[in-house]
Amino acid sequence: MLILIIKEMIHRKLSFLLSLLAIITAVTLFISFFTAGQASKRETVKLMLTMGFNLRIIPKQTDMDKFWLTGFSDYTMPENYIDVLANTRNISYNHITAILHKKISWSNKDIILTGLSPEVIRSDRQNPMAFLISPGSVYVGFEIAKNMEIKKGDVINILGKSFMVERCLAESGSDDDIRIYGNLNEIQRVLNMKGKINEIKALECLCLLKPGEKPVDVLRAQVEKLIPEGKVILIQSLAETRQKQRAMADKYFSLILPIVLVVCAVWICLLAIINVRDRKQEIGIMRAIGYGSGKIAVLFLGKAILIGFIGSAIGFAVGTGIAMKFGPEIFKITANTIKPSYILLLWSILSAPLFSAISSFIPTMLAITQDPADTLKEG
Amino acid sequence: MIYIDDVSKIYKTKFNEVKALDNVNLKINDGEFIVIRGASGSGKTTLLLTIGGMLRPTKGKIIIGDNDIYTMRIRERANLRAKNIGFVFQMFHLVPYLNVIENVLLPSKAGLNELTKEDAMELIRRLHLLGREHHKPSELSAGEKQRTAIARALLNQPKIILADEPTGNLDPDNAGDVIGYLSEFHKNGGTVVVVTHGVIADQYADRIINLKNGHIG
Repeated sequence: MLILIIKEMIHRKLSFLLSLLAIITAVTLFISFFTAGQASKRETVKLMLTMGFNLRIIPKQTDMDKFWLTGFSDYTMPENYIDVLANTRNISYNHITAILHKKISWSNKDIILTGLSPEVIRSDRQNPMAFLISPGSVYVGFEIAKNMEIKKGDVINILGKSFMVERCLAESGSDDDIRIYGNLNEIQRVLNMKGKINEIKALECLCLLKPGEKPVDVLRAQVEKLIPEGKVILIQSLAETRQKQRAMADKYFSLILPIVLVVCAVWICLLAIINVRDRKQEIGIMRAIGYGSGKIAVLFLGKAILIGFIGSAIGFAVGTGIAMKFGPEIFKITANTIKPSYILLLWSILSAPLFSAISSFIPTMLAITQDPADTLKEG
Repeated sequence: MIYIDDVSKIYKTKFNEVKALDNVNLKINDGEFIVIRGASGSGKTTLLLTIGGMLRPTKGKIIIGDNDIYTMRIRERANLRAKNIGFVFQMFHLVPYLNVIENVLLPSKAGLNELTKEDAMELIRRLHLLGREHHKPSELSAGEKQRTAIARALLNQPKIILADEPTGNLDPDNAGDVIGYLSEFHKNGGTVVVVTHGVIADQYADRIINLKNGHIG
C-alpha cells in the first residue's frame, strides 16, 4: 500500500506539493514561534526574560519635586559611572549616554544647556538614538533659534566660548525647544564642571531574572548596586508601550495561529476532495476487484499521514532556521539559547500527520462512500 | 451458477424514475459464455454491475453459487468478488500511475490471494504484453490497455469474467484478440458474461440474450 501511495504522490505532483506546502506552513509557524519563545523558558538556572526598559539614572540626593519641575537634577555624579554601567555583565543595553544639564541665563533669557557624551552602543548593528555632537558645534532648540533669529552656520558665544550652530532643531513641544545641546566635555568646560554629569540615560536595558522577579525592580536594584550614588527612574510611558507592543504581538499570534491552522486544514481538505474526484475510476475499479473500505481509507489517510511526516520534517527545519536567524533579534538576552528543539521535532512528527489526517478525514469518507457503480457505469 | 431472480433496478432522480431492469430472470450455468446484447440505455451495464455485486437491485436476488450476494455484508461481497469475479470494462480503468505489471498485480493488494510477480508475468506473456510490463497506461495502445485489463481480471483465477463492452474502444484486430482471450478463459472452464451492442462475440457465445428497455426479449 505504501508503494501505491508513493507512486500516486509522484504521479500527481502538484496536488502533493500543495498539500505539503500547507503542512510546512503550519509546522513552520509553530516551530519558529516556539523555538524562539522557548529560549526564554529553557534556562532554568538563569531564567531570562527579554524585556527592554528605558532608564534615567540621576544623583541619589536629587530633590524629586524639583527634578520633576525642572526636568533635571541640581546634583551631579562622576562621569565615569557611565563606564561602570557599560562594563557590567548583569545588564544588557543598547544605548547609554551621559548628560549634563544646567539652567543658565543667556542673552537675557533662561535656557537649558545640555552636554551629551557620545553614546555607548553595545551592538554594532544599532544606530545612535541621541545626537552625536562634534566638538565646537551646538544644536539650538526651536524657541531659542526663532526668538534670536539663529540660523545654521551662525557662530554663537556661550559663556565665553564660540560655537558653530550645526543644526536648528524642529519644534518639539517640550522643554527641548529652550535647550542648547553641545558636546559633553565642552559643556562641562564652559560650566566649569569637568568630569561631572547629572544624568545617565540608558535605553533598551535588559536584565537577568529569576522566576517571579519583576524586571523593573531587578534593574533598579542592580543599577543602584553598581552606582550607589545613583537613583533609577523608569521612563514609564516607553516601558508600558513596549509591554503593550509585546502583549499585542502575543495577541496577534494567538489570533493568527488558529486562522493559519484553519486555512491550512481547509486547504488540505479541498486538495484531498479534488484528489478523490480525480481518482473516482481508480476507486471504482479497486472496489470491483475486492478492495474494502479499510484499504481505500488507508490509501487516502496513509497519503495524508505521509505528507504530514514529510511536512513536519521540512517544517521543523524551516521553522528552526527562521527562529535561529530572526530569534536573536527579538530575544536579545536569550539569543544564545535559541537552538533546535528536538522535543518540538517529536511533537511535530506526531501532530502534523494527525492534523493532516484529520483534515483529510471528510474526503476519505467521500472516497469510501462513493458508489463505484456510478463511475464504472460512466465508463 | 449465477441465478438472476426477478431483478429490477429503478434509478430515482428528482423529477422521475427510470426502470433500468424490469423483472429480469436469468440463469447462467457454470462454464457458459453468455452475450447480453442491447442498445445503449437498455440496461446491459446495470445488469452486469448487479451480477458483479457492485449495484444493489431495487428488487430481486442475485445468487452466485450458494450465495445470495446482496444479503451478504459489503466486506463479504468484496471478498467474493476478489476470489471469484474478474471485471473487464470498455474504458479499461487502469491505474494511471502504475505500470503494466503493477496494474496486473493490483488484485493481489486486496490481500485475499497469494499472488506473485511470476503469476503476473505469466499472464503478461500469454497476453503478448512482454516488453511492455514496465510501461504506464499512457504509453500503451488501446489494445495493450485492454489486454492489461484482461490480465488483471485473470490474475485471481476467477470463476467468472464480467466484461462490459470490452471491445468498444478497439479496432477489429484488437477486438478479435480480446474476445479470443475471453474465449480461451471460457474453454478452460470459466464463465463469461459479455455485454455489448456489437456482434463480434456472437461466434463464441453459448447463448445470446437480448435486452430491451430492461426486459429480456
